[in-house]
Amino acid sequence: MSFLFGSRSSKTFKPKKHIPEGTHQYDLMKHAAATLGSGNLRAAVMLPEGEDLNEWVAVNTVDFFNQINMLYGTITEMCTEESCPVMSAGPKYEYHWADGQTVKKPIKCSAPKYIDYLMTWVQDQLDDETLFPSKIGVPFPKNFQGNAKTILKRLFRVYAHIYHQHFSEVVQLGEEAHLNTSFKHFIFFVQEFQLIERKELAPLQELIDKLAAKDR
Amino acid sequence: LSSELELQRCETKVRNLSPHAFKFYMEQHIENVIKSCDERENRRVQLEKEMKKIGLSDKDQSQMRKMLSQKESNFIRLKRAKMDKALFRKVKTIG
Ligand SMILES: [Zn+2]
Repeated sequence: MSFLFGSRSSKTFKPKKHIPEGTHQYDLMKHAAATLGSGNLRAAVMLPEGEDLNEWVAVNTVDFFNQINMLYGTITEMCTEESCPVMSAGPKYEYHWADGQTVKKPIKCSAPKYIDYLMTWVQDQLDDETLFPSKIGVPFPKNFQGNAKTILKRLFRVYAHIYHQHFSEVVQLGEEAHLNTSFKHFIFFVQEFQLIERKELAPLQELIDKLAAKDR
Repeated sequence: LSSELELQRCETKVRNLSPHAFKFYMEQHIENVIKSCDERENRRVQLEKEMKKIGLSDKDQSQMRKMLSQKESNFIRLKRAKMDKALFRKVKTIG
């Protein structure tokens, strides 16, 4: 769980006795658990006055999907059948793929396969005009909130996998502040509207508490 | 069937992306999130101020508020429509 303690304790960046100032490693240690910008993300996730909740959840869900897709795109070469034969988030959590529609019986598969299924499934949901209407004046379906919750619940698992299995690579790529910011925005959003059940968040609960505490 | 699955795999949603492109996107994106939040609040406050200045009736005021909300709402819907289609091509040219 190197992500909890910043890059200091990550395997790839064991602290040496004296790391000269200005080196890459020094910067990483300094910026452990850093996030981008100083703006108030807590305020930015709140429902704007007069806005329709569905519209707000929809635009943010598409946003998070894009961020996670890009983030995962930067580590696809490190997330392989060999490195990640199961879709896990640490030793305690393992996910099997089922979408409840075409795949009813959960399939045990590698993380890259699982994430591929997951992202393809989400993209199909977002592209479906009956689920995510994109034309002005077309109302959202009745079950929209339920749908969005399922999407966000599944997207969370990609964060969980990346934090648990690929954080040292994320640090090597120098994108941990970007990951932390993306995840923080995501968590603030789902907390604000209670979109993911607490038990689903368990694989990253300590990190979530840490991110939330820093902001109070 | 297996070649069909292979083909599907080629059309996968997950693409390789340079870390530089992702970082650039996130930096811009977070700035925009904060900025659009502030700007939206400013527009709301501005409307309130101007309505007060010209002394609109309560009924007209709530009508104006509704109009602004509708405009804001349409704006984020259009943003969503544009987002997933344009995004990946745009990011490619940057990275
Ligand atoms: Zn992996």
